[in-house]
Amino acid sequence: MLTSLVDAQGRKQAALELLVRYIRIVDDPRRLAEWPDLFGDSAEYVVITRENHERGLPIAVIRDDTKDRIIDRVTIIKNFWGAGGRAEDHHYNESWPRHIVGPAWVEFTESGEARLGANFAVYATVQVDPEPRLLALGEYQDVVDFSGEIPKFKSKKVILDTSVLQDVFVYPL
Amino acid sequence: MAESVEPPRFDLARRIRWPQEDNKIPREIFTDPDLFRAEMDGVFTGPVWVLVGHESEIPKPGDYKTISMGAAPVIVIRGANARVSVLVNACAHRGTRLVEGPSGNVLRGGFRCIYHMWTYDTDGRLIAVSLPEDFPQEFRKEDYGLPRARVDTYRGAIFATLNDDAPPLLEYLAELTGGLDKVLEDGALEFLGSIRVIFRANWKLYVENIYDGYHVTALHTGFQVVRLRSHGGERLVPNYERNGHLWGRSRSTPVNQLTPALRDMSLFDTRTKPTTDHNMMVVFPSGVVTDYFDTIQMRYVIPLELDRTQIEFAFFGRQNDPEEARLHRVRQGPEVLGPAGAITLEDAAALERVQLSATARGENVVLKGTPKRFPPYRHVDEAPIRHFYQAYRRLMGFHSDDH
Repeated sequence: MLTSLVDAQGRKQAALELLVRYIRIVDDPRRLAEWPDLFGDSAEYVVITRENHERGLPIAVIRDDTKDRIIDRVTIIKNFWGAGGRAEDHHYNESWPRHIVGPAWVEFTESGEARLGANFAVYATVQVDPEPRLLALGEYQDVVDFSGEIPKFKSKKVILDTSVLQDVFVYPL
Repeated sequence: MAESVEPPRFDLARRIRWPQEDNKIPREIFTDPDLFRAEMDGVFTGPVWVLVGHESEIPKPGDYKTISMGAAPVIVIRGANARVSVLVNACAHRGTRLVEGPSGNVLRGGFRCIYHMWTYDTDGRLIAVSLPEDFPQEFRKEDYGLPRARVDTYRGAIFATLNDDAPPLLEYLAELTGGLDKVLEDGALEFLGSIRVIFRANWKLYVENIYDGYHVTALHTGFQVVRLRSHGGERLVPNYERNGHLWGRSRSTPVNQLTPALRDMSLFDTRTKPTTDHNMMVVFPSGVVTDYFDTIQMRYVIPLELDRTQIEFAFFGRQNDPEEARLHRVRQGPEVLGPAGAITLEDAAALERVQLSATARGENVVLKGTPKRFPPYRHVDEAPIRHFYQAYRRLMGFHSDDH
């Protein structure tokens, strides 16, 4: 009884620490290559509007439903978006993301799955703009996988409150 | 008694100098706020058909979506009688917006205005008002239905016009129906969902980008990385003397011949069609219909402000898709033709930069393909842009001499 309580507390803490690790990586575009390592081998990263999520419509803004697709996202950001030059040299509008996340909560399902949720806002600061742009606002609905040595995301679902994106996305939310 | 004088409709036509050569576009048309307001009238309530949806988006009676035709907010609704209507989203009483959200179903009871509880049925007829005592003698509910656009569909694509002078839809579409037949087939589509995004550019910059085949290899680096090319292809402008439609069609490299730069190359795979032939169309002034790879997509353009345009990307499958094909379309569509996909970001960046520098007085120039005066053009040409602006100028009263 006592050990399972400690275990649950330990897992909760580890899940929250995973979230913080995630935020620190996604807030630094230079650390993009580390982003896929936050996910387990069988993982998904989905960004979807609340409208589509609740209506059961399958079209998501981003649906990287395998680890391969998650890794491909890094390739697309680094090598595809370049407008004719070396993609790594170009940052569209040089914007710096900033996540404001919280509160965060962890719940365990009957099957032992750890569900991690949090409110989030992502701002992007473009240095020549007087105001940062609010890129996204919503809720994380994640599932944490404890089967490996360190906890990783089995599922990261980014639910956007809006039905109208203010901007196109580059880096992971 | 004071006389009211009708102001000249578009005296902007005198204020903005449009060069003689029809391949020169004055930048003021992207920065003049009066012109923007005039366009919402002159173009979007002109004798045109505006693409507002597909029947599969509103399959059940009572289903609706909200959108705008230029600046006119409308409700696209399937009525209780299963007929599709496009109703102005403003109470006929004191103008209150009747429906707020992007989509829904009114079930029984129709629309009820929150302000004075006026109630309309799903065809926009006024059926009840609160406290009807002491209304003017001549008040009749029949006179206060919601204004209705003329609606017609082609292969399930819903078009609406607010102008009695718009020709019948089939006449308006002309040979573009050939391309719509290829993409929409019998119209039995399944709506998979929409994504809406704001571009920081004038609506005309968004639309002319679709007519432009020149930018594709330069701007969309992803195609170069995987070595995806168009083989042959052409850009048509059906009925170009009367309209400014676009029909671009081409064949692209099959996925097994591409450089596998991604682990999951299904992004570029065409497996639901026998060939890698694709169509990219614009129904003038603003409706995009395309079937690149296995992605069936329509885009609806809503100008919000001079330099802000909302694009709704709507994705579809076919009703008879096997489950595997449906999943493939769901995974591919937004990834290749969506706002967070491999291509659209680059268009957004380019258009935003054109808008940012549009305050530098001068003209944008359309060159590639222009030695040819009339369509068909080659797939890599930007010359079709001229025809968009020819149709635009006719609607807005800008005169130009065609050579």
